[in-house]
Amino acid sequence: MTTPKKRLVGELVRRELRQRYLGSLSGGAWALLQPLAQLAIYGYVFGRIFSARLPQQEFGELAFLAFLAIGLWPWNAFAESLSRACTTITDNAGLLGKVAIPRFLLVLAPVAAAFMLQVAGFAAVLLVLYLGGWFEPRWQALLTLPLFVLLALFTLGLAWLFSALTVFVRDIAHGLPQALLLMFFLTPVLYPRSLVPETLLPLADANPLALFVGLFRQSVLGVGSYGPGDWLLAVVLTLASLAAGYLVFQRLAPHFEDFQ
Amino acid sequence: MSTVLVSAQGIGKHYPLVSRRDARMRALGRLLFTRRAPDGVDVLKPLDLEIRRGESFGIVGENGAGKSTLLKLVTGVLTPSVGSIQVNGSIGALLELGAGFHPEFSGRDNLRMAAALAGLDARAVGDWLPQIIEFADIGQYIDEPIKHYSSGMVVRLGFAVVAALKPDLLITDEVLAVGDESFQKKCIAWIEEYLAGGGTLMLVSHGMYHVQKLCRQALWLRQGEVAARGDVFEVTQAYLAYHERRQRQQDDSTAAQSDSPYRIVHYSIDGAEDCQHIVLDERRHIDIDVEMEARDNKAPVLLFGIAHGNGLPIYGVSSDMDQVRPLALSAHRYRFRFELDLGALLPGEYLLKLHPMDSQGLRLFATHEVAVVIRGETREMGAVRLPHQWRE
Repeated sequence: MTTPKKRLVGELVRRELRQRYLGSLSGGAWALLQPLAQLAIYGYVFGRIFSARLPQQEFGELAFLAFLAIGLWPWNAFAESLSRACTTITDNAGLLGKVAIPRFLLVLAPVAAAFMLQVAGFAAVLLVLYLGGWFEPRWQALLTLPLFVLLALFTLGLAWLFSALTVFVRDIAHGLPQALLLMFFLTPVLYPRSLVPETLLPLADANPLALFVGLFRQSVLGVGSYGPGDWLLAVVLTLASLAAGYLVFQRLAPHFEDFQ
Repeated sequence: MSTVLVSAQGIGKHYPLVSRRDARMRALGRLLFTRRAPDGVDVLKPLDLEIRRGESFGIVGENGAGKSTLLKLVTGVLTPSVGSIQVNGSIGALLELGAGFHPEFSGRDNLRMAAALAGLDARAVGDWLPQIIEFADIGQYIDEPIKHYSSGMVVRLGFAVVAALKPDLLITDEVLAVGDESFQKKCIAWIEEYLAGGGTLMLVSHGMYHVQKLCRQALWLRQGEVAARGDVFEVTQAYLAYHERRQRQQDDSTAAQSDSPYRIVHYSIDGAEDCQHIVLDERRHIDIDVEMEARDNKAPVLLFGIAHGNGLPIYGVSSDMDQVRPLALSAHRYRFRFELDLGALLPGEYLLKLHPMDSQGLRLFATHEVAVVIRGETREMGAVRLPHQWRE
């Protein structure tokens, strides 16, 4: 990307971040308060009320809270990016109708902002989990950084796709949050893959997010049996998502204004 | 640096029809899987356009004629449905009274964004800011969200941003109509300076005065088609004449003018029959010839006056005040001829009004208006030059 484009993306991301905390007293502090509050709630509900336990022969003494948290934050980054990005073009109709701006850059901002916030939250949560003795740090946990990059790019491809389609079919803006909620329960975030009934396993494995969540857990917690082939698959899925999203977006972008 | 700034070949635009619910889906399918454009209505028929550096180009036409669409195509906000367009240079555009500001953010934040859109870094905004705040006359409001601004403030800020960017091509769409008088003057002064410095302008306005003052060339769009293009005075006069014709057709069909006992049959100014618009440069004398009908066979009275373009009356007098009687052509046809010296008027836009009156000069029967543009440059203020003398 050229320097002016970088500046523009930087400014768009900055604006996206500001927009979320605009007018709030503590400003950016919410970025850390929110995930910690969320962690406390999950700890209370699943640890105290449900007393959730993981199957022992597979996970040993691993705390359910750590298992949940490591899967939940990547999912949050994905779902939040997508639902925000999906209405980017329609939300910015005022700007797009007056300024000739490369439209595909506009979709970058909500994805980048959501990932920045969720990664920061993820780091805070890891620290708390470590201080609380819920998980042991391992060097492989550093793999979460490239994983987050992959997941962000994978999400960006879908964000391009859905933001372009939403201009034409507004129903997507209403349907997507519901679809994401359904997908949340179909993805092994709240439960391990081993609890999925055998007949439904092919369906569960066809879900790209299950793969990403599994890779995150393996990196941080050392659970699961993913190999280099799965990493390669994640890269292929990311490239496919980027290519499909970009193609559809660039094909439809010249006509956005006619349907806004 | 290329001399051709904008070059468009056969650009046209049609908008798809999206009122029916399935139309959007069908259009989406077509765009994704075929090369055909969706069905739609033409808002701009294919036209060629070439704008060179240093040109100033006015676009006139009625509402819905395609003026804004053309500007949007040049700006790149819209993609042409047919044809192609090349722009070699930076564009600063104020389309539909805004610069794409976000209402929730402060003026300062929006300026940062505008700078980023123009490819400048955030530090440049710091250098800009005092200059922009001063030009927009916006003071401490710069840190308030745009949604709390008055519409005039938004336009002022938008114009200030564009002015600070000094684009190769300035595109404005009816911007001058919103600001108050003093800001309009400031804008016009800025645009004049910008043009004198080699800037290029595309202007859409319903105010012929602005078009004539700022542009040297004009394009008249009528229902998406080019009705005329060329020298600004020829095009704007043709456009105004077209309006007068339409107005008169409406008048003729609604008000039965011939019912009034006194009326102006026809008039001419400097020999031009029933002209609606005159432009004066050096010469400030006009000859007016009015033929009137009086059905009661009594010599009628003619009242004429001059008003400023904003409606303020400047001078008026009637033939009976001057104790002048018309020449009787027949029992009910009369003719007034007079010479009018407009030398005292400062450059600007004025209205010459002619009214037929009854023989006592008591009742006024109709109004005929002639737009008068006085060209020239002066730093004097007001509408008329009063005789004065500075003493030693």
